[in-house]
Amino acid sequence: MASSARVRALLWVAVMLPVLCAAFSEEKPTDQRVLVLLDDLALKSSHSIFFKSLTSRGYELDFKLADDSKLALQRYGEYLYDALILFAPSVEGQLGGNLDVAAILDFVDSGHDLILAADAHTSDVIRDIATECGVDFDEDTEAVVVDHINFAVQSESDHSLIVGDKLIDADVILGKDGIKGPVLFRGIAHSVNAASDLVVTVLSASPSAFSATPNAVMTAPPALTGTSISLVSVVQARNNARILISGSLDLFSDKFFKSPVQKFGSSSKSASGNEQLALELSKWTFHERGHLKAVNVHHQKVGEKDEPAMYRITDQLEYSVEIHEWTGKEWRPYQADDVQVQFYMMSPYVLKTMDHNGKGLYHTSFQVPDVYGVFQFKVEYKKLGYTSLTLSKQIPVRPFRHNEYERFIKAAYPYYGGAFSMMTGFFVFGIVFLYHK
Amino acid sequence: MAGGGTANDVRTLVSSLRSAYSATPVRLKIIDLYVLYALITAFVQVAYMGMVGTFPFNAFLSGVLSCVGTAVLAVCLRMQVNKENKEFKDLPPERAFADFVLCNVVLHLVIMNFLG
Repeated sequence: MASSARVRALLWVAVMLPVLCAAFSEEKPTDQRVLVLLDDLALKSSHSIFFKSLTSRGYELDFKLADDSKLALQRYGEYLYDALILFAPSVEGQLGGNLDVAAILDFVDSGHDLILAADAHTSDVIRDIATECGVDFDEDTEAVVVDHINFAVQSESDHSLIVGDKLIDADVILGKDGIKGPVLFRGIAHSVNAASDLVVTVLSASPSAFSATPNAVMTAPPALTGTSISLVSVVQARNNARILISGSLDLFSDKFFKSPVQKFGSSSKSASGNEQLALELSKWTFHERGHLKAVNVHHQKVGEKDEPAMYRITDQLEYSVEIHEWTGKEWRPYQADDVQVQFYMMSPYVLKTMDHNGKGLYHTSFQVPDVYGVFQFKVEYKKLGYTSLTLSKQIPVRPFRHNEYERFIKAAYPYYGGAFSMMTGFFVFGIVFLYHK
Repeated sequence: MAGGGTANDVRTLVSSLRSAYSATPVRLKIIDLYVLYALITAFVQVAYMGMVGTFPFNAFLSGVLSCVGTAVLAVCLRMQVNKENKEFKDLPPERAFADFVLCNVVLHLVIMNFLG
């Protein structure tokens, strides 16, 4: 008995091995190994609160120097990590080992998550990675974000430590409590590629901000100004890989987490919102929030249990699906009032918002349209910050059978009468015509 | 005067038509009556459809087409049994009547199938 159990366990491991090594997987979502690439191992202690919170949430952090010659994301075709934190803005030339821009993009393309932070001395490698993700850092390598109105009072001349509070209004990304304090930011500006609808700015600069070299005479107007400057952005790729890009590495530092903020022009100091922002964003990026899965898609005729292979036009049917959200520990029922199902053939013939029972079961019923053909049940749920749900299930719809039409309709009696009177007429006429002398 | 002349002409026309038609054999008159009956039935059904709408459209079509079909077949029969018609002088009236019956059977089978 024991040996058969062991064989079964071995078999399970063999079957599940590809799954275990993949990125965030719905079968084993708690398995998260993270590679952290640093410029300098001192960052490990200067950003210790951030790293400690990740470790305490169950992530295995593997710290490496970004120019370590033994760096590898994958071995024998399997990825060794589920996510990558790139806190190495000034790594010059090439990353260490066999890691390059293409390797990191392949890592993301296969569904893995990435956190990338830049600062005032950001190298071309990091800029290239960000550009591929749809985020363009200011091309002027000397420029940082300067704001002469919304800066934190620290020293009189330095206005590059800015205070940001223009956060995106999305509970799923920032947590439902919202970010309590203002966010300290010292770093470079980026703009979000307008052609990409996957990139979302989380923290944008105030209207008075601009991107320029501090303490230098400005010869040309700054390339990036005002609210078009993004400070922190997130990307959710079509394969649900998530990327967090920050123009400031200091944003994640213990110093910024703990330092009180005194905004210029205000006399009171308040705690910074950096810690909360960094932790909430890391939760989102590592799929602890907003990752949806749909299970138990079911449809049937009203009053029946089994799923038919085909519907007839004008049938009443019921459609149901269960949607759950990953919370970092368990799947919890997802509750929203905007999940819609389409009954689709070239275009949606029926589009209905589904009701839910509070336990994640979404349900609706509707009548099959009076059109036959091959339809699909489609759920295309795309909501800011949530992984996109795309379900489709094909189902044919047939016309009435010959014997399913309504018969003996009252309104048709005159026509029946006409037809039968013609038959009788034919009979009578036949006799009269034959026997007429 | 002109009006009186027209009325007179109409009267003359009708009376000459009637006298010409009275020369028609009774056999053919029976067929004409049958055709008239079919056409009136068709007209009644069309008028009814105009009042209540097209809903059981298949029933309407089969009702009206059975009348129209009957009238057409009867006209065909009339052409074939008319002695004056030299085109069918080789065709015996018995054969014409058999054709007529066969066609009617087929017509009414189709009508019954389509009536719903």
